[in-house]
Amino acid sequence: MSQMRMPRTGITRRTLLSTGAAALATPMLSRRAFAQATELTMLAWYGHAEPDIVAEFEAENNVKFVPKYYTGGDNMLGLISQSPPGTFDVILSDAEYVQALNEAGYVEELDPNDYAIDEYFPEFQNFPGNWSDGKLFSLVTRFGFLGVAYNTDALTEAEASSYNVFWDPKLTGKVGHFDWHLPNLGQMSLLNGNANPYDIDEAAWSAVKDKTMSLRPQIGGFFDYGGTFSSLNDGQMLAFAGIGDWITGVLEKNGAKVRSVIPEEGGLQWSECFSIGKGSTKAELAKKWIQYITSAKGQAKSANMAAYPALIPNQKGWEVLQAENPDEAKRQGMTKDAGNAIDMIREGRIQYRQWPVQQSLEDWNDFWSEYKGA
Amino acid sequence: MSDRDTASINRNRAVDVALKAYIVLGYAFVFAPIAASFVFSLNSDRFPSIPLGEFSLEWYKAVASDPLVWQGLRNTLFVGVTVGVIATALGFGAAYTDYRYKFFGKQVYLALALIPPTIPVVILGLAMLAYLSRISLSGNALSVIIAHVVICAPFAMAIIRLRLSQMDPDLEAAAWNLGASEWAAMRHVIVPFTMPAILGALFITMAVSFDEFAIAWFVSGLNETLPVKVLGFLQGQVSPRINAIGTFVFVTSMTLVILAQILLTGRGAQIRPSADE
Amino acid sequence: MRRPLTLYGLTFSLPLLIWQLLFFVFPLVFLVALSFWTVKNFRMQPDFDTVNWVTIYGRSVFWQAYGTTLAMAAFASALVSILAFPCAYAIAFKLSDNARRWAVFLMVIPFFTSYLVRVYSWQIFLSDAGIINVMLGWIGLGPYGLLNTVGATMIGYLTLTFPLVVLLQLFSLVFIDRTLIEAAHNLRCGRLRTVFEVIVPSARVGLVIAALFAFILCFGDFVSPIYLGGGDPTTLSILITDTTKSGQQWPRAAVIALTMIGTLLVVAFAAVRFAYKGRTK
Repeated sequence: MSQMRMPRTGITRRTLLSTGAAALATPMLSRRAFAQATELTMLAWYGHAEPDIVAEFEAENNVKFVPKYYTGGDNMLGLISQSPPGTFDVILSDAEYVQALNEAGYVEELDPNDYAIDEYFPEFQNFPGNWSDGKLFSLVTRFGFLGVAYNTDALTEAEASSYNVFWDPKLTGKVGHFDWHLPNLGQMSLLNGNANPYDIDEAAWSAVKDKTMSLRPQIGGFFDYGGTFSSLNDGQMLAFAGIGDWITGVLEKNGAKVRSVIPEEGGLQWSECFSIGKGSTKAELAKKWIQYITSAKGQAKSANMAAYPALIPNQKGWEVLQAENPDEAKRQGMTKDAGNAIDMIREGRIQYRQWPVQQSLEDWNDFWSEYKGA
Repeated sequence: MSDRDTASINRNRAVDVALKAYIVLGYAFVFAPIAASFVFSLNSDRFPSIPLGEFSLEWYKAVASDPLVWQGLRNTLFVGVTVGVIATALGFGAAYTDYRYKFFGKQVYLALALIPPTIPVVILGLAMLAYLSRISLSGNALSVIIAHVVICAPFAMAIIRLRLSQMDPDLEAAAWNLGASEWAAMRHVIVPFTMPAILGALFITMAVSFDEFAIAWFVSGLNETLPVKVLGFLQGQVSPRINAIGTFVFVTSMTLVILAQILLTGRGAQIRPSADE
Repeated sequence: MRRPLTLYGLTFSLPLLIWQLLFFVFPLVFLVALSFWTVKNFRMQPDFDTVNWVTIYGRSVFWQAYGTTLAMAAFASALVSILAFPCAYAIAFKLSDNARRWAVFLMVIPFFTSYLVRVYSWQIFLSDAGIINVMLGWIGLGPYGLLNTVGATMIGYLTLTFPLVVLLQLFSLVFIDRTLIEAAHNLRCGRLRTVFEVIVPSARVGLVIAALFAFILCFGDFVSPIYLGGGDPTTLSILITDTTKSGQQWPRAAVIALTMIGTLLVVAFAAVRFAYKGRTK
């Protein structure tokens, strides 16, 4: 036996060693490969330049993405404004900020004929902010809904189907906020019955503030992206305002007992758009990337992004997803069935997240600081 | 009185044991998060929790196969070592200046030497970025070095100044009286006397730089250092990769520290006054 | 000992001066200027307008955060000084030379592990289903809400400052003249009295500097209040991040930052003056 085992161990060890050596050498090798590849810089939320999304494109075009991940739209604007023009070839931006990017002249004009916009659902072909004076500056690539995120052990779907659940006594100290005023106050505004949650007069704004303030004793914390993930996952927070499937979807796939639901008062929509940075020396390649990620194939990939899943505006992308990954298509509601994601938009249950119309952004932000400090 | 003496001897032993137990407690607090980080880096669960999942090396693989992490590590090492050397040199000069000279505007000089770490890093980061980009120095390793030296030099100065304040002021003068030039006195009296502090400063400044992420986040642009990557993981998709990187950095620095310890053992023994002198 | 500056002296004093002027004072001056700029549609414009100062100083939430931060940082630096002192004391006086060297090197190690990693690790300890609560569960206690509390923030502050404070205290304790302690013993000065009347005063500079560093680090830290404290209560560092999060209000953030700098300056100079008080130079 021992004689039998000895050589086998030897082989195993040798195999192990060579595997180890290969593993160690991998970064060196791949670095050499990348040295020849063209580098394309991307300014985006975390996850958009990770291998699950970009590997195929990188291999096909001999490109290597160099990402800079930001933590919020303002953060993104700060980075662009303080960097020399041409630093970022591709810029991903939330729809609210697209207008600001245009006005500041941070992005190049796009040629609509370059992209398969006709494959998009009609609602997304003339997406607000993407166009300015009939010119295209950015292209929406994915979107998602914001509702009530909840721990399925603590709450039933019926209970979570109203924003009022946040006031439930059993959730005291267990309600978390995604730390940004816009989605949270938008949801409070929906709860107050404002048809357009961001276009409200002073009286309605005052009512929203009062309503929000009454929630303060329930709140267990204010979290960023990462903090939201972990506090929902380990049951630290049982319900969350201001987020949706983009967070709970990841956790759900990982086996956590959390879900998001669009409550009866309606939900909000976030949207992400791609642009080409002003002064990019690789605009042609950047265009190619945007073509890729907005094509049916790229869209199906994007819908299932490892960092956070999202809905996609390309109808053909839905078909690809339904064929390749029917479970995910079903989970996210991108099916042909009635009541799917696009139907929800068409029924008017979803409102765009946007800047406040009648108040200044500062007012909302200042109130949010006050609320947090209360 | 003799009663009290015996009592104090008895108490002495108990106190000694208690104090030693307290040291252990202190180290337990310091090392608990590091140890946990190590354990969970080998755990298969995407989100760490108890009971543990399966043993897994997948987070290490994920980290090792990410060329950006390697890039970050190289940047961090390069920046850290450079910063350590420059900051310690500048800090030594400032500490010596404070120790030896009195001049008009010294308070201002000291303020300049000590204030930088008091500036909240978030703001220093933006101020640095705005300023450095105006003089075309932003977005590379050099800008991180510049910014880190600014906040590290004060630490070096404080540590070396502390050591100098324990030096007999007559020592240097004695060397001059014996005919040594200022430079020779510096070399043979001041530098040897402050050597432990210089080495300490070197280590601390390197460490501060290794760990600094906020300013580096702003000024590093696309040349991110490793802590900036970690911040990205923490703010973005929380992942045990944080633990894998942490453990890797820990093991590396542990090795360095032990090596340094072995190299310095002989010298260190002379430096520290023994308790029974 | 005091002589006019010579070429020799300038060699040592000038490099730091030049470096800090170029890369610290200038950005800071820029920060002051920035606090008078205005923001329109996400774009900062050079201006001279006191609106940012008036707005920030007029908001109760700012003063609230200011008080909170000051109290938390002061408490943390007192706490860490008290907790670290027995440790530094024991290392300095109760360990053999060899053990002490190892103790010092071990205490240096945390500096080489990322603060972020350690804070992330504390989350695993403190969460409702975390290590501490699971262990308490074995003896039938809990679970207690530990994460997202001020206590958790304090643990983060301790993580940040404890090793540094122990080392700085140790550094000053080790070099105390032992004959002083022996003299005290010979004069039949009790143990505790020796500590408080001989050791603490002799090591005062180190102790005060250590506490000062702890205060400074905690005052400006944003990681612990956010990732362990759950962002509640609002500290100044969180307020700065919030201010910059909406509408590129860097000028207002600059106002908060400059106020923090002012506060820290006052504290630092008071501490340094206190530390070196009565020392003959």
